[in-house]
Amino acid sequence: MKVTVNDVEVDLAPGTSAIDAVFAAGYDVPYFCSQEYMSPVGACRMCLAKVGAPRKDRDGNWILDDETGERTIFAFPALLATCTSALSEGMVIDTLSEEVKHAQNGMIEFTLINHPLDCPVCDKGGACELQDRSYEYGSGRSRFEFTKRHQEKHHPLSDLITLDRERCIHCKRCVRYFEEVPGDEVLDFIDRGGHTYIGTVEHGLPSNFTGNITDICPVGALLDATSRFRGRNWEYDHTASVSLDDASGSAVVVDARTGRIERIKAGLHPEVNKSWIDDGIRFGHEYTADPERITRPLLRKDGELVEVPWPEAAAFVAERLKEFSGKDVGVCIRADATLEEGVAALALAEHLGTGQVDHAPRYGPTVMPPAQATLQELAVSDAIFVVGDVSEEVPAVDLRIKDALRGVTPPPLLPHGVPIADLRLKERMPRKREILCVAAPYRVDLMRHAGTVARYDVGGEETLFRGLIAIAEGGSADERVLGMTLAAAKAFVDRLRAAKKAVIVTGGFVLSSQAAADAAERFARAVGARQLVLGPMANAYGLEAIGVLPSHARYDYASMVAGGAKALLISNLDPAADPAVAERLAESRLLVVHDMFMTATARLAHVVLPAKSGFEKDGTVVNLEGRFMPVRAAPVDAGEAVDVTGLVRELGLAFGVRIEGRSVRSARRSLRKTLGTDLEELTGLGAFVALPRRRVAVSVAARPGVRGRALRVPTMVRQEYLLRNPHLLATLGGPALRLHPDDARTRALSHDDEVTVRVDGVPRRLRVYVTDAMPSGVVSVPALPDAPAGPADVDLDGIVVERRRLEVA
Amino acid sequence: MSAQLELPTVAPFFADKPDLLVEILGRYPDYGRRSALMPLLWEVQRAERHVGEARIAEIADILGLRATEVKGVMSFYSTYHEHPVGAYHLQICATLSCSLAGADELYDYLSEETGVVNGETDREGRFSIQKVECLGSCGSAPVLQINDDYYERVTRSRCAALLEAMRADRLEAPWRERSGDTDVADPVAARADGSPSGTGGAP
Repeated sequence: MKVTVNDVEVDLAPGTSAIDAVFAAGYDVPYFCSQEYMSPVGACRMCLAKVGAPRKDRDGNWILDDETGERTIFAFPALLATCTSALSEGMVIDTLSEEVKHAQNGMIEFTLINHPLDCPVCDKGGACELQDRSYEYGSGRSRFEFTKRHQEKHHPLSDLITLDRERCIHCKRCVRYFEEVPGDEVLDFIDRGGHTYIGTVEHGLPSNFTGNITDICPVGALLDATSRFRGRNWEYDHTASVSLDDASGSAVVVDARTGRIERIKAGLHPEVNKSWIDDGIRFGHEYTADPERITRPLLRKDGELVEVPWPEAAAFVAERLKEFSGKDVGVCIRADATLEEGVAALALAEHLGTGQVDHAPRYGPTVMPPAQATLQELAVSDAIFVVGDVSEEVPAVDLRIKDALRGVTPPPLLPHGVPIADLRLKERMPRKREILCVAAPYRVDLMRHAGTVARYDVGGEETLFRGLIAIAEGGSADERVLGMTLAAAKAFVDRLRAAKKAVIVTGGFVLSSQAAADAAERFARAVGARQLVLGPMANAYGLEAIGVLPSHARYDYASMVAGGAKALLISNLDPAADPAVAERLAESRLLVVHDMFMTATARLAHVVLPAKSGFEKDGTVVNLEGRFMPVRAAPVDAGEAVDVTGLVRELGLAFGVRIEGRSVRSARRSLRKTLGTDLEELTGLGAFVALPRRRVAVSVAARPGVRGRALRVPTMVRQEYLLRNPHLLATLGGPALRLHPDDARTRALSHDDEVTVRVDGVPRRLRVYVTDAMPSGVVSVPALPDAPAGPADVDLDGIVVERRRLEVA
Repeated sequence: MSAQLELPTVAPFFADKPDLLVEILGRYPDYGRRSALMPLLWEVQRAERHVGEARIAEIADILGLRATEVKGVMSFYSTYHEHPVGAYHLQICATLSCSLAGADELYDYLSEETGVVNGETDREGRFSIQKVECLGSCGSAPVLQINDDYYERVTRSRCAALLEAMRADRLEAPWRERSGDTDVADPVAARADGSPSGTGGAP
């Protein structure tokens, strides 16, 4: 469809909005209320333009100008908001005339009537849409001389978000965001009229995606409480990277200043997280600046760990390693290590001559399903079956499922990027709930949006899938096993089979049992669905793909720490949190721990080497759909901390050998040989690289079966760092032991009590969280890297109440 | 174990009114369930003279909404009250015609007599005073709306008589100059049988 913007003709698809035509033509028009991936509403009236179009007569012929013979352009009687106007053939849009400029100027003046203009003390200053547009399109002066409206300036909407009601210009982006994107209407205009303000009666904004409103706020009204008053926008170094918080590979922008991370903002990745990230990613960065961070190598001398230079620590390790035959050494890295770190770990193991190399957390079953679905496929799926709690496990997947419920395909990119106003999106769109079925052993948030809900018993994933396979094959199954009525199960199985783009999403609950994972795969095959498997950590997929795996099942991480390895090098893992393991590790002849903090394991180590956080390293990760994505280091002061490649470089220097993977470049050279792709050339959007698909030959030692009705559950926030993230900790109150009100009553526990309870033998300090989301008799504790999601043994009889809830008299 | 903190619990308003709920929800198609928001708010307010937080949460639950959304709608209408208004909610028109006809003096008088100012309710919960915008009865200014009924041409002496009647709980239905939408003998009874009331009843 050809349209003319000022003097430029552009050819765009029908249905495109006029504002996108303006930007596609290379012109600019101011706007405040439109937002990528959200419905255009035409509320701010900033994008006014003079629009005209040719008309047809009754016979369907264009009305032509008598003199020139060209189509007559009939101007619309008033200026149009271009964000809500669809293009029509031959439309002429004028954004430069005096009339348009006058209107823009007037709207800026109107918007600023009650705006406090406190830019010098505003955190948004320098990156503020209102400031920029006022500068570009305003006259610089106001004719209004009366006192401005005063409202609350530091209103905590939650512990994570602060609202300044004076600065708000009522664009409604945040209110619309909550309804349209996560579907949690926890924010609304109150007292609509001359005194409108945004507010909530849901205390603390109960949603996993609240932080995004601070990104889309065009003014400094909604601010991220972790970064408020921490720096000015022009002082920040903006590093576009990928979050290592979960397996989604969400794009983020890391803002650092004077060597410290001050803020995480959502990055734009149209095919992964769009422009949204969850609160765990956004607010879970404060641990990197924790004063207790280890910044120099520590070596045990006379029983005490003392700071030493790197060469001394490396030389000590190299020297001691000579005492062991290679196969007695174990090397294990955490599953959010980059591919390059994986290569380094493998190269180190090869140099030492050991097959005891692994990454953890890792489940027995593969995270690389044979029929892999992508997030884009999920977003356009017509039948989705979810087992587990995706909203906590990989929240980005939760949002892509909600995209599918809206039934609007992801918009095609225009010359200027994502459409600013996608006219297919509407406020309060009907959701196709019937295409979603959510099954979990307890009530999960996504069930509110699902047409079919199943509550199966703890550890019942295998029998659930077996039951569904039986139904798919025309048989029947026990309703208790299905957790839903037989009719509902049959209807949904039929829907999955009839669907063209069915997707089955499974997470840690299914991965924790080989039989369940096999059954899930068989069911997916039976109904012709693709699978999306939520790996336990950011690079579980990649590390499995490049084979950071033990050469034999009895060489895996669990066996290593159980005494299989006489010397151990472990990175970012804390097996000694388990007292039984700690006892064994205390006797190990060489324990080298690479970590950021003095964990229980680090306290036992002979050598502790400082580790980089996920924000400080360069590398590549593979997200849960198999997309290779570049991680970039933010300029953060981490002392002498290194990642695993750096660790291998230092050890190599001490050995006097050049080990492959001694740097990111060296690791990439090695990967180029195996993958046939140069990861140096990976752009920010990442790429799918064909991988030799192989079944994991080795599986982790069989876990004991369900001993109690307890679960380790995935959580959005990283529990290992929760206590070092003050803002998140204040919001959540601590790691939660969730249980049903009846169970709390019988055990004389009340909400917010602090307790110590043994989970699989490991004492954990938790906060009692009483909720009817848990079925009676079932309790849950948060998963940790050393204890990933799955059935657990929670010793409720031995529970010790450390501190009662603060009583209010 | 120390004493548990028990928050005051309020019995759900609609729990014992299933028929009413079915009737109100039945007015709207299933996809437009949220439309029942206004009549539900109105039911609560008529019974309790305000819509409290617990009721907001209850209505949100019934309609599958968040409480914030209910509050957002409710706060738009000045006729829904967050806090209980008195048994006699005195609404004085403060717009031009009534103002010229002495509404300001009427307000001063009422305020002095009842001891409350605009937006307040007295200690006994008998009177609340609220200045409102045009009630659309300019020809018979000044107008005083008591609860749902208009009292027109309220002179000082008529006002005193009204106050006295209200204090004795013997307020009579108003006499209207022209037949209006409350032109029935007993407006409350008329509403109860389902006919339109003009102030938020059945559509």
